[in-house]
Amino acid sequence: MAYNGGPMTEAMYYVLLALMHPNYGYQLMQAITEVSNGRLKMGPGTLYGVLSRMQKDGLISLAEDDGRRKTYQITSEGEHALKTEYSRLKSLIQDGNMLEIGDENE
Amino acid sequence: MNKIVRKLRPSDYWRIGEHESWFQDMAAKGFHLKKMGLRFVHFVKGEPEKMRYRIDISLNKRITPEQIEMYADSGWDYVTGHQYFQVYASPVERGAPELHTDPAEQSFTLKALGKKLVFNAVMVVVALLFTIGMLAAIWFLDGTPTFVLVDGLVIQQTLLFILFVYPSYISLQAAISIHALRKDLIEGKSINHHAPWKKHFRLNSVITFLFTIVAGLSAIVPIGQLIKSNTATLPEENLDLPIVRLADVEQNPALVRGEAYYMGDDVDWSNRYTYNWSPLAPIKYESDEHGVVPGKMWGDGSGEYSPSIRTMVYQLRVPTLADNLIADLIKRYNYEYSDDDFVETKHADLNLLIVHEEDDFKEVFASKGKAVIYVRYYGYADINPVIENIVDKIKFIAE
Repeated sequence: MAYNGGPMTEAMYYVLLALMHPNYGYQLMQAITEVSNGRLKMGPGTLYGVLSRMQKDGLISLAEDDGRRKTYQITSEGEHALKTEYSRLKSLIQDGNMLEIGDENE
Repeated sequence: MNKIVRKLRPSDYWRIGEHESWFQDMAAKGFHLKKMGLRFVHFVKGEPEKMRYRIDISLNKRITPEQIEMYADSGWDYVTGHQYFQVYASPVERGAPELHTDPAEQSFTLKALGKKLVFNAVMVVVALLFTIGMLAAIWFLDGTPTFVLVDGLVIQQTLLFILFVYPSYISLQAAISIHALRKDLIEGKSINHHAPWKKHFRLNSVITFLFTIVAGLSAIVPIGQLIKSNTATLPEENLDLPIVRLADVEQNPALVRGEAYYMGDDVDWSNRYTYNWSPLAPIKYESDEHGVVPGKMWGDGSGEYSPSIRTMVYQLRVPTLADNLIADLIKRYNYEYSDDDFVETKHADLNLLIVHEEDDFKEVFASKGKAVIYVRYYGYADINPVIENIVDKIKFIAE
């Protein structure tokens, strides 16, 4: 299923976020943990699956490939998709603000 | 070299959680997964160890070095793989992170496999319908199911069909199960890596055992016929066989054997007898005999008088088949005559007697106990000697 601009899975979102700096395999996993402030520890199976799918969809590309180690980077298409998703999430948060106001009124 | 133990690989390979759980239980008993094939799984005997096993479905049949390395960096060692299924292992104490932390993402890895399985299932169902059609045609197209049954080869085809039904069922179930698993994953339900496997495992062993037996049985008929079937030239002197001889019907000392037109494998096929066997007819004979009376002509002037006779003899396993077999024989070898031309008559020494008489063509169908004899005769002799000869021969194989 090619990415059609809809809501991203959490895994996709964080991998794209982490790939704002080109990175590879194991280090990429650490980078994801970092950008998620330790909240997300992504398994290698999930990461590999997301990488191969997003590469197929053109959201990321290979920056370097020495045969064993592949370094990935985000593409402009990927960056665009990431920013769209970010503003979508932001509106989601804004819409949820009423919950906090509601809490204050209690 | 450590001892290798082979175990049957459960045919329900799509139960991923149960497979993982099985590998883990085996490792705990000291049998460490080494190799997984289509039918067998190899374990190496060693020290018992608490292990975690995970089956990963790769989108491509070949897994990349990148993937192996990425998994290894996280503490998962590649063990073995078969087609889309790759197995990774990690000792419990290593505390490696789960391979898949996002069930929805994992469902994507099943997509290619799911598609392939659906394609397989569709092909198999089409092939199955085709086979059902073919089999039904063999049994029923002629409208002579008893004949087909007694003939025997269809028994093997039917068993082969049963052998084909089981893998079809498996491939259907595979497609449905992988679809259901994907749905579960999309809904966020992870695979249970400790799913109980014993019940399905036992069921699988029983089915595989039965499958092997049916496969063995299906070979009995063709092998039995190969060993027992035999064709030879009919000697001119009398034979100790339950077949009706041309000389006994013609009762003309001037009758001599016709020329051998069809010689093959050292057998004169116009004057031959064939012995055969089938599960429901342990004794079967078929004979052809062609004679000539030199100097005597056919009434229509078409040439020298050359009578011929064909006998088909069955000793059935159960006498209840006899009447149906006769009905089927009439149907199968009758191309031009109406059913009314076949007249049932009584005979004290036969259970059933049906005769069909044209000018120079006579057919007699007779049964007694387990025996059925069918004679086709072309010639001028009366039908009575044909019947009396049958009565004379049939008593030897009626019991």
